[in-house]
Amino acid sequence: MHEMSVAMEICRIVENKMPAEGTLVSVGVEIGDTAGLEPDNLEFCLETLLTQPPFAGAKPVFDRVTGDVLRVTYLEMDDGN
Amino acid sequence: MERNDGIARDVRQRLDEAGVVALNLVSSPGSGKTLLLERTLDALGDDLNMAVITGDVQTQNDAERLARHTNRLVQAVVTGGACHLDARQIDRGLEAVDLDDTDVLFIENVGNLVCPASWYLGEDAKVVLFSVTEGEDKPLKYPKMFREARYAVLTKMDLLPYVPFDIDRAVSFAREVNPDLQFFFTSSTTGSGLDEWFDFIRDLAGRRAERPARSAP
Repeated sequence: MHEMSVAMEICRIVENKMPAEGTLVSVGVEIGDTAGLEPDNLEFCLETLLTQPPFAGAKPVFDRVTGDVLRVTYLEMDDGN
Repeated sequence: MERNDGIARDVRQRLDEAGVVALNLVSSPGSGKTLLLERTLDALGDDLNMAVITGDVQTQNDAERLARHTNRLVQAVVTGGACHLDARQIDRGLEAVDLDDTDVLFIENVGNLVCPASWYLGEDAKVVLFSVTEGEDKPLKYPKMFREARYAVLTKMDLLPYVPFDIDRAVSFAREVNPDLQFFFTSSTTGSGLDEWFDFIRDLAGRRAERPARSAP
């Protein structure tokens, strides 16, 4: 249900939390099996959206758990070091 | 979902402060939400102050039907495509509702057993309706909704002689998914089972009236 709009919301959260320096490498997402979303579909939507600036090809990393949790767990940045 | 849930919690707080009970009615399209609300508004109109917010993809037909059964303005949300109500729409809808003059808020959600399960609106409880013209395995097919709901209304009981619906199986399937689900069995056409539903609403509203409104933290 609404995987694309959830993916867009994830991107909005990422954009708000992203530090100014560095490149986004990956986005950790925890998704529960009763969250009401199809994980593969969500991953596909998120992958597509993350190809766009300012995300420049960052990859979603999904942690599939039980329950109805749905959250962004981490942002992995490459600060060039 | 945090953005929606945050707004829903604000709605919840406003409802608590005003001592309003809110029920979110959900079902497939055509299970009888509007008719049940018509009967409820008629039966309890003298005893309780009831507000209604309806949600539909298109038309305000349900709101117009309900408006004939109450002196109060029925808030109609036309989603224009969204298959569920969200907390923002309830928040906005409540701007025109005098909560201090309200005992019960009924939210008639968009007919859909999937999406509304994920969108908390600030309600006290979800009431899931399904009818004897639907499959007994509805609860198994839509487990999230039946788990989210605290109450279930099995509607159109007057049609039982004409359909191969097994009530015991339906209730048993529902209890597999949610052992605590409390059932009502109604026919809005004949009135059968409605007294239990009306008493239940009176009860909920009465209990809320006895509790002093909590002040904001």
